[in-house]
Amino acid sequence: MEGSRQQTNRLEGAVPTAPSFVAAAHELKSPLALVRQLALHLESGEVNGDELQEIAHRITLTSERALRLTTDVTKSSRLEDSLFSLEPLNPIVLCQEVVDEMKPLYAAHGRTIVLTSRTRSLLALANRDLLRRILLNFADNALHYSGEGPVTITASLRDGGSCIRLGVRDYGPALPSTMRKNVGQKSANVHSRPESSGLGVYIARQFADAMHATIGTTSHRDGATFYVDIGTSSQLRLL
Amino acid sequence: MARKRVLIIEDDQWFLSLIKKTLERKKFVVATANNTIEGMAAINKKVPDVIILDFFMPGPNALVLLHELQSYGDTAKVPVVLCTNNASDIPKDSIHSYGVVSILDKTTMHPDDVAAAVRKVL
Repeated sequence: MEGSRQQTNRLEGAVPTAPSFVAAAHELKSPLALVRQLALHLESGEVNGDELQEIAHRITLTSERALRLTTDVTKSSRLEDSLFSLEPLNPIVLCQEVVDEMKPLYAAHGRTIVLTSRTRSLLALANRDLLRRILLNFADNALHYSGEGPVTITASLRDGGSCIRLGVRDYGPALPSTMRKNVGQKSANVHSRPESSGLGVYIARQFADAMHATIGTTSHRDGATFYVDIGTSSQLRLL
Repeated sequence: MARKRVLIIEDDQWFLSLIKKTLERKKFVVATANNTIEGMAAINKKVPDVIILDFFMPGPNALVLLHELQSYGDTAKVPVVLCTNNASDIPKDSIHSYGVVSILDKTTMHPDDVAAAVRKVL
């Protein structure tokens, strides 16, 4: 462990300064602008067969990324009106599903995402859809705002087995020291990355709150881990 | 006549490859970097004739690089074309003093606009 090099913080202050719809528009600009540029490139007629396939694939993946964001935004706006049932679920299976879902996007960027688990076979008590969306959000964040190294989803037991931590570890630039200082303050404007609007973390926090979970980040010298802590289920392992 | 060298500093790999292909088709020699730190290393290796620069990237943003460029005699005059999703938020009056000669809006530009902007400043 890196001990003193690390600083672990709960993202309780992860509140964007701008209204969420402005932040959503900001976040959507990037994939939409890219889809437009890719489409313009196709329109130019200067692409061969292989390149055409590649560009079409990139348009598909970028559109799916934008759609994930719009789905998250609409879902987060309805959290207060909805009841999200909690169920015992196998977090390792869910993490593997997230890895499998993100693999094509990572591969298209020449990156890798893998799962490592240090837990015994325990069940988490969570809402499957919300937990999946939190992890997808973190994985997307790691892909677009970190360096070129692999991204790892980890599962580990905490607090004597009463809690499971699912983390997404990347090897991008470390969070700035000024940001680390602010992370512990509840009123601080904590963003996932300095160049991000912070909407992803804000939505992830809302999803976590809705199922009594907690999100946070650990800053490493060579990257960061964004994690969600969820309670374990006392039921026998059925899944 | 020697072909002009363009350095693209852009964290979005797919956007970067589109610009690179466009400029290479127009016979420019293109170098690339994925962030400001890599950009500085590329400039140290070989000072380009023009820099295409994204604004927000992992690690230090474009302003850090612009400050750095202005600090050295051999780089202060290198023209910089900002290429960003946030063009409307960039204070155009003050940014020109950092060596920025043109700002391209990724959300509205045409791929050929990059080559046009480069030609304009050479």
